[in-house]
Amino acid sequence: MGSSELIRVEDLEIHYETDDGVVYALNGVSLHVKEGETLGLVGETGAGKTTLAKGILRLIPSPPGKIVGGKVFFEGEDILSYSETEMHKIRGNAISMVFQDPMTSLNPVMTVGDQIAEVIAVHNPDLGKEELRERVIAILAKVGISSDRIDEYPHQFSGGMKQRVIIAIALACNPKLLLADEPTTALDVTIQAQVLDMIQTLKKELNTAMILISHDLGVVAQTCDRVAIIYAGRIVEEGDLRDIFKNPRHPYTIGLLESIPSLTKETKRLNPIKGLMPDPTNLPPGCPFAPRCNYACEECSKAVPELEEVNPGHLVRCIRIDSVEEVR
Amino acid sequence: MMAEELLRVENLKKYFVTNSGLLHAVDDVSFSLGKGKTLGVVGESGCGKSTLGRTILRLHEPTSGKIFFKGQDITDLDKKAMKELRRNMQIIFQDPFASLNPRMTVAQTIQESLLIQGIFTKKDKAGLEKRVRELMDLVGLSPRLINSYPHELDGGRRQRIGIARVLALNPEFIVCDEPVSALDVSIQAQILNLMQDLQDSFGFSYLFITHDLSVVKHLSDEIMVMYLGKMVEKAKAKDLFRNPTHPYTQALLSAIPVPDPDFRNDRILLQGEISSPIEPAPGCRFAARCRFACDKCKGGDIPLKEVEPGHFVACVLSEDMNQGGSR
Amino acid sequence: MSEAVKKTQRSLWMDAWRRLRKNRLAMIGLGFILLLVVLALFTVAVDIVTKGTFYDEHVIKQNLRLRLQGPSAEHIFGLDEFGRDIFLRVIWAIRYSLFMGTVAIAISVVIGSFLGAIAGFYGKVTDNVIMRIMDIFLAIPSMLLALAIVAAFGTSLTNVLMAIAISYVPTFARTVRASVLTVKDQEYIEAARALGASDARIIGKYIIPNCLAPLIVQASLGVAGAILSIAGLSFLGLGIQPPTPEWGSMLSNARSYIRDGWHITVIPGLMIMLTILSLNLLGDGLRDALDPRLKN
Repeated sequence: MGSSELIRVEDLEIHYETDDGVVYALNGVSLHVKEGETLGLVGETGAGKTTLAKGILRLIPSPPGKIVGGKVFFEGEDILSYSETEMHKIRGNAISMVFQDPMTSLNPVMTVGDQIAEVIAVHNPDLGKEELRERVIAILAKVGISSDRIDEYPHQFSGGMKQRVIIAIALACNPKLLLADEPTTALDVTIQAQVLDMIQTLKKELNTAMILISHDLGVVAQTCDRVAIIYAGRIVEEGDLRDIFKNPRHPYTIGLLESIPSLTKETKRLNPIKGLMPDPTNLPPGCPFAPRCNYACEECSKAVPELEEVNPGHLVRCIRIDSVEEVR
Repeated sequence: MMAEELLRVENLKKYFVTNSGLLHAVDDVSFSLGKGKTLGVVGESGCGKSTLGRTILRLHEPTSGKIFFKGQDITDLDKKAMKELRRNMQIIFQDPFASLNPRMTVAQTIQESLLIQGIFTKKDKAGLEKRVRELMDLVGLSPRLINSYPHELDGGRRQRIGIARVLALNPEFIVCDEPVSALDVSIQAQILNLMQDLQDSFGFSYLFITHDLSVVKHLSDEIMVMYLGKMVEKAKAKDLFRNPTHPYTQALLSAIPVPDPDFRNDRILLQGEISSPIEPAPGCRFAARCRFACDKCKGGDIPLKEVEPGHFVACVLSEDMNQGGSR
Repeated sequence: MSEAVKKTQRSLWMDAWRRLRKNRLAMIGLGFILLLVVLALFTVAVDIVTKGTFYDEHVIKQNLRLRLQGPSAEHIFGLDEFGRDIFLRVIWAIRYSLFMGTVAIAISVVIGSFLGAIAGFYGKVTDNVIMRIMDIFLAIPSMLLALAIVAAFGTSLTNVLMAIAISYVPTFARTVRASVLTVKDQEYIEAARALGASDARIIGKYIIPNCLAPLIVQASLGVAGAILSIAGLSFLGLGIQPPTPEWGSMLSNARSYIRDGWHITVIPGLMIMLTILSLNLLGDGLRDALDPRLKN
């Protein structure tokens, strides 16, 4: 390992207890991120991406949510054992989060300047008014918003600009880790390009590590260092960017990549994954992907496969890797 | 290539009156669509692509311009004639969660089409059910879902209901308003394949509205790019991707993140954001964000120029631009 | 195809009922209301079977010898200032409060939702005219409006009923108009239009069923208000006239004897309070059960 490890999640298990039964949202997820690194977390609706991010920050609404097991080490300390007061010091400071929807993440009755200042003030109570404002202006400049908009209200900003403000709030305290939950999904393509570009620049400048949650493989391919694919609350494949995109081994990853209409190649017909995600209240006993998998055999539905290392740093949770390789 | 013409739109305009002035949602758009063909309409939010689709179906009344369907001018048809025509012109909506009545079961939703258009009467229970089952089968909905309510189903299945409801009328022309953008990638591919299969078997013509260029490239014969109510470029799908000529199209293409780590395109980062479509200034509406903008752009209307056969661009610089196509 | 939908089909109404059943307070409220309904039906049955003789003998007939007697095994709620059994009077009074409250609200729901639906659906001038008239009604305190109507047309059952019904019309018109406005812009309405559905069909099959939830909540709370109004009018002597038993008038008459026997004021007061509380609990429960945002 080159640079040191910043966060390590071990066997995190989170369930929601609802009227319809227990939703098995996360079923033992382990991952780690090094300082300054970007990990892409890819999965479909209901795969557990957002639950994972909220779980790291302990923002799971309880009830119905419940952290059933696992550990989250941030800089070597198990933050799941922290008290709520200790967590307050971490949230928005050492770890911060950017949510998907720029329209509802800002308080409509506060100026954007005040909203940024609030975060800074919470974590730096000694700062004077003047200093605070200077800090806010500096951050706004970083995200490409001119300082004369500091006293405007969120409704005066467009969607892309709002997302910049949200990123400014997230970066206000120079966090070591940024959890970005679909930060550009609600934005137009050209605006998305601007925002992604800005995130990249800032990350380099501040040496912030990031977990980028996305369903868009394109966004991940253009921004991340490593990628983890999550399906039904489990990591099914994890590896370097090139491992995943150039040499995918898990049938689900392969299926995802083949489902996207290509801009660069001619395809007559898409090759979708058949069927639907399993119901998270009623997961199949074995590999959760087995019912949709073209390579599944009897063995697959007996036990959940282990995450095996196929190449250094490239982990796959599938017992049929070899036959998948043959068929392809 | 000239398939029989099904739909022709001439100088269509749709303005909305707002408190701050006239909103030019669709401004002087013309095109024609052949039988069994797909025209993709691409653009970002607020470019008027959804309004265009709805205005063609007369869900919004056009401000000016003409719409011809199978040679007949339908711009001024009365309510009764329009109802008749709706059998032939249909729409699939973007949001499978909002476009289905939450109080109606799958069967009731599909039946609505048949009942409203008088294809079946309420009394013919057996006939209705048989047809509903046929349609469910066609769109790949399991028969045991017949009495389910929309809130019990996932997005992909709901979208299949939306398609079955349209299919029930066997229309010739379907406006598809972002039909897959609310769906997950793997489900999106299933629905796109379904729509392609249905087009192959029933010969539908699609007006496919989307913001996703890769989807539109996959499906369309021709593509039209819109910006703030104006059509800025129109070409055969292949030509548009081979030789994007309008600076906006170029920026749009370069902004798409490609799922290939080796693919490094030189992103053209646009400055600023889409300006307001309310009372736009004369001249090219993209000029404010365009890296090539000059005084010529701010004059009057920018005419469409044919830069190669079937490839139209609304840009004063189109001649110089044509050589610099970035892909 | 898959296993995601293994549950049996259930409509949104059944879902709501399932959620309501889990709300203990709302179920207690519902239970109490049902108990009142059963008791009221029982008294009606007794009246029919005995041709009113039981009513005359035990509910109306005075027995001054036993006046103000406290609760006993024979008369569990005691006797009132004229020696009548308070328990019997209280349950014979249910029909006036509950029945009249429900009918009054039913009338205003029908009128109010019709006006609200028209205003919301057609908008513009129609909306303006209807809603401004409703605003005028809303500007008059509802109790005052009811008082004025009863004072002008005399104290009769029908007048009390009409007075309360009219005073609630604007509330329901507003509720329905607001939900019509939200539902009207939904894509499924546009889809119905694209299919060529007529206005009447769109209102009947698409808009009204989707506006019912807030209306039901509002109505259950409205019944509580109406019962209170009936009791209030009777208390003031403008509602149901003695010797007919009615909670409000029982309370009013008992008020002078408050020092002589606690039970004759407390019992009717408690009945009013418990009924209103039950209806409000039920209404709150319905609001939670019918709100789709709370769906999980």
